[in-house]
Amino acid sequence: MGGTTQVEPIILAQELKKVYRIGKVDVPALRGVDLVVQEGEFLAVVGPSGCGKSTLLHILGGLTGPTSGRVLVDGNDFCCMSDGDRTRFRRHKIGFVFQRFNLLPTLTAQDNIALAQSIQGNGYNPHRFDQVTEMLGIKNKLSHRPYELSGGEQQRVAIARAVICEPKILLADEPTGNLDTENSQLVLNMLRTLNRSLRQTVLMITHNPEAAAVCDRVVRMRDGRVVSS
Amino acid sequence: MGNKLIVANVLHRPIRTIVSVLAVAIEVTLVLMVVGLTSGLLNDAARRTQGIGADIMVQPRGASFFFGLTSAPMPIKIGDRLAQVPHVLAVTPVLFQSNATGGGIGVIAGIDMESWNRVSGGFFYLAGGPFEGPYDALVDDVYAKANHVKLGQTLNLLNQNFHVAGIVEHGKLSRLFIPLSTAQDLSSSHDKASIFFVKCTEPGYTDDVLDTFHRLLPDAQIYSIKQYMTLMSSSNLPELTYFVTAMIAIAVSIGLLVIFLSMYTTITERTREIGILKSLGASKRYILDIILREAGLLCVAGIVVGLLVSLLARKAFLTAFPTLVVEMTFGWGIKAAALALAGSLVGAFYPALRASQLDPVDALAYE
Repeated sequence: MGGTTQVEPIILAQELKKVYRIGKVDVPALRGVDLVVQEGEFLAVVGPSGCGKSTLLHILGGLTGPTSGRVLVDGNDFCCMSDGDRTRFRRHKIGFVFQRFNLLPTLTAQDNIALAQSIQGNGYNPHRFDQVTEMLGIKNKLSHRPYELSGGEQQRVAIARAVICEPKILLADEPTGNLDTENSQLVLNMLRTLNRSLRQTVLMITHNPEAAAVCDRVVRMRDGRVVSS
Repeated sequence: MGNKLIVANVLHRPIRTIVSVLAVAIEVTLVLMVVGLTSGLLNDAARRTQGIGADIMVQPRGASFFFGLTSAPMPIKIGDRLAQVPHVLAVTPVLFQSNATGGGIGVIAGIDMESWNRVSGGFFYLAGGPFEGPYDALVDDVYAKANHVKLGQTLNLLNQNFHVAGIVEHGKLSRLFIPLSTAQDLSSSHDKASIFFVKCTEPGYTDDVLDTFHRLLPDAQIYSIKQYMTLMSSSNLPELTYFVTAMIAIAVSIGLLVIFLSMYTTITERTREIGILKSLGASKRYILDIILREAGLLCVAGIVVGLLVSLLARKAFLTAFPTLVVEMTFGWGIKAAALALAGSLVGAFYPALRASQLDPVDALAYE
């Protein structure tokens, strides 16, 4: 007689709520989000502006804590964790890619990527460095500063920085938002490759239906809630 | 990698870096020059007093350590009485006069050449010789060089014309000397002296002679030259200590405030950068450390520049004012550097703390 082993999802959110206080007004950004993401999934979160996509991403990345609800990321309950604990978790388990690339302008591409390793504290891993930069096609751009790179190249450096420390989850906030069609496709292909070849779990926020189409699953949000998954 | 980031940030904003470095350099220079000038003044006066070669000095009660500020209330006959004390070899009276010239205020010592020679062993003449007339003057070589004075020249001192009879080696009491009787006449202090310098037959008898002097003149201010040397420090001159402390406080405040402002504006400019670091998992302590180390780097650069500028400033001062003494010691170099570093870290602490506590979401959204 055989039995199935229950695989724990890498992300589990239940009745997740987030309320921002702006002045004297409470603004509910998330009104009870339920979300399950399995390890190795490539998930898109779509929805109109102000629906809470970015807030959801920030909570899942530990940049901010939820107001109520439950969120387990790789088995860690963020609701029970302090800011310091979430920061430590993020250092080792989460990678971020942003719409505006967010590279440090004073450092070269190589140093921007190495900075992530330095902050993690495990030191420079040349094998991993070569593997990631080779895969993302930026080996010949490593000595350039961000202002010397195109948008597509900057985003690939940002992706390299996000994955260099082998995070459990890659969170991408509109990664193609500032790119033209050609570079957008390039970046999406890179994310797809990471997902397929390295089994990287990717959660991507996007307005672009073509970007969402490369994902395994699309989660739609509206007014702080998930309306379809 | 953190060091690379710090250096890159410092080089990325050259104007801010230069201003911060200069502020710390000014702070260090100010501390060293103020301390150098005050201790130079004190130590030079002490050395020149010691350079007479006397063993004991006798002043009226309440007299200042700065001889030029002392009036002349002691009768000259006291010197005769002191000379009769056993183990006293010689006593020489000196009358000080302040001389206001276009260049400032100087001190002129009126001396009795014969007793002066017995106490001090006499001057070493670089040119000319001792007084021959009542309006002859001797100048030391430092004064002569600073004021371009030559042998035989006429000097206007105490509103009288004096003939420069000799140029002597520096290091004995004063830079200007005139006959005691002339000084007494010009100041209407006939048969008076500001101070007596006493030479003992053997230095070993100094304490015995001191005891006798204290019994003879219980109201006078009597010190061995050794005691005088130890007393001539800023710690024994409260007013000077307050002045030096105030100047150091001002200097440190300059550095602290400029570094505070520099790091505060830097944090504001780099808010998004801090958000990026936090998104990478940088802890509050990491952010605090980066900012403080950046301030430390600016400070160290400022200290190096400040030490160099201090040496140049000292050279410039001594070239322009050869009679001044600016003493710069290794010890005070270290103290000035430590004060600058402490001030800079204190100044950078609040901006660093603010940066470490920034909300990462807000920081990332900052334009």
